Amino acid sequence: MHTLADILLARSIAVVGASANPEKMGYVILNNLIQGGYAGALYPVNLKEQIILGLPCIPSVADIPGELDLVVVCVPAAHAASVLRQAGAKGAKGAIIISGGFGEIGNYDRAVELTDAAKAYGMRVIGPNCQGVNYTANRMCATWPLVKSPGAIGIVSQSGTIGAEIELLAERDGIGVSCFAALGNKSDIDEADFIDFFVSDPHTKVIALNIEGIGDPERFIPAITRAARIKPVVALKPGRTEKGMRAVASHTSSIAGNDRLFTAFCRKYGIIRADDLTEFYDFCKAAALSKTPMGPRVLIISSSGGAGILSADAADEAGLDIRAISGETIARLGQALPSQCVLANPLDLTGDATASRYEAAFDALGGNSEFDVILAIFGDPIAGACKVIQRQLSVASMPVVVSFLGGGDVQLRETALMHQNGIAVYPTPERAVKAIGALVRLRLAAARRERKMVI
Amino acid sequence: MINNMMHNIETEIPKDRRSLLEHEALQLLTEYGIPVPQHIFARYADTAVSAAAEIGFPVAMKVVSRQILHKSDVGGVRLGLESAEQVKDAWDGIMASVQKGCPESPKVDGMLIVEQLPPGLECVVGMVRDAQFGTAVMFGLGGVMVELTRDVSFGLLPLDKDEAMEMIEALKCSELFKGYRGKPPLDINAMASILVKIGGLADAHPEIAELDINPMIVYEHGVMTADARILLKAAK
Repeated sequence: MHTLADILLARSIAVVGASANPEKMGYVILNNLIQGGYAGALYPVNLKEQIILGLPCIPSVADIPGELDLVVVCVPAAHAASVLRQAGAKGAKGAIIISGGFGEIGNYDRAVELTDAAKAYGMRVIGPNCQGVNYTANRMCATWPLVKSPGAIGIVSQSGTIGAEIELLAERDGIGVSCFAALGNKSDIDEADFIDFFVSDPHTKVIALNIEGIGDPERFIPAITRAARIKPVVALKPGRTEKGMRAVASHTSSIAGNDRLFTAFCRKYGIIRADDLTEFYDFCKAAALSKTPMGPRVLIISSSGGAGILSADAADEAGLDIRAISGETIARLGQALPSQCVLANPLDLTGDATASRYEAAFDALGGNSEFDVILAIFGDPIAGACKVIQRQLSVASMPVVVSFLGGGDVQLRETALMHQNGIAVYPTPERAVKAIGALVRLRLAAARRERKMVI
Repeated sequence: MINNMMHNIETEIPKDRRSLLEHEALQLLTEYGIPVPQHIFARYADTAVSAAAEIGFPVAMKVVSRQILHKSDVGGVRLGLESAEQVKDAWDGIMASVQKGCPESPKVDGMLIVEQLPPGLECVVGMVRDAQFGTAVMFGLGGVMVELTRDVSFGLLPLDKDEAMEMIEALKCSELFKGYRGKPPLDINAMASILVKIGGLADAHPEIAELDINPMIVYEHGVMTADARILLKAAK
């Protein structure tokens, strides 16, 4: 039996139903594989065309000259099973079936025929009725949109759009993803297969799951709980209570929607739950780039009093600890900083602050152990922001999360630089605070596991 | 010895029953070390009076009928009965109102005479089974108003004391336990232990489908079950 890894690491791919029409999936996927820089053998399979996108067409899978690892199937549903049989006969290890027209429209016979064809050859199947897979380490964008940037976030989603948007946000930030998969009907490979793969995948540091429903809890729950012990897992679950249809017999069952139980599940196993798409990406970014703080004590350093107050409010709501700075540290900061600075938490460096004033503040803090994490807010066009954070991270073990706002072109440049250098930056202080909250939850979950292991 | 004390619902309760009567539920809770008030099941009005005298006034009276699940909704509960006279009146009053309150005349087995509990913080403890996530214990604030306040948290089995503490701290109004507005702090330690015990009970009795202790009253020292409802799975 082949595995998901055989699909993701395929060295040769046939796109069956490759098309010269840019509106067809058979064109889009072939084009994305080419533009994405896929380095293996690539075969457009089309009976009528000679050349598509500069590649010579092959009339059928059986005619492919060399070895074949993977077929991407874009032909109508009626032909899909026969394509799988031909691919299986050629020794293909897996198939990504983009075509729809199976179980999702009640066409169960066709779905069974497909599964039987794959099983006969030990082939693994993603789909049918799916948006495909992007595995950047193999430069294999067998999906859409075209996303090339490699990174540390592995995304798996039943629906395509949510996962694709995370890919695009990660590409825009220059941090990229390791993998994106949209699973469609899940006739064979499901979330549990991807979770297991991500756990052992050296490119994936954060596992991002968009869960619309848990199809096979006996596979999914052990997989996700094991994964959460090894790598950060961020889960987005559209929250819908499922109590409506039941006669209410007890108070408990009237309140216990699937959503609340999912929250309890995440808390128990240290899975970071995101409530919306923004949090989903923000938490993935934090877990991909930042170290986890040792605890919830946050020191806020800001050039903007207003942004500092907003972040203090958000930190309070997120259950973070924005304690006062000790008298001793205040005294050191007072010597290092000009008199207009407000020596408190948030530490207000005021609107004329430059990168060197941040540096002076960091130096005055030294090996401070009063706090677990720094939120650095750059609220003005402060050039050199990235350098000063990099310097701080190189001398102190405390993680730093950044919010950059009100900085125009300088902000865009510095943000890009920071992302390149593995520093998580958020455009609003509230989002930065929530991301810190997610990191702290990860740390608390790890601490709880350690405590249980000791007992 | 402990095994002998365990109440085996499957053998003692007829297969067609979908819930335990309240005194059966209280009995089961007692076996798991969950505090319940003094109570006596009375089949007749005159035994109800002597039961009340034995427990000591004031008492509460609750209808016992396998056809009535939501007792207060049909006028099946009277509180603060101070004398034999009031107990007799309450008996007649409950009999009359449950006949009026139910579409089909329910068969009344008798009344439960219960020790009147002092006031405290009214909470809710519950248990549900879920096909995906397994068994969950619920803790919440608000007592009978919980469906309005919705300030609850869930913990999945297996549930340990730390997790039970986290469930309590996860409530929006968890400050109430810490001595709100000059009041003494409440016994969250005892409360957390009860949540763990409910988990143990749920684990040992797969035949139970759902459980509600509502209200569960939390005091400065200890906690007390004020009302319990245990629903059974349908017989296979």
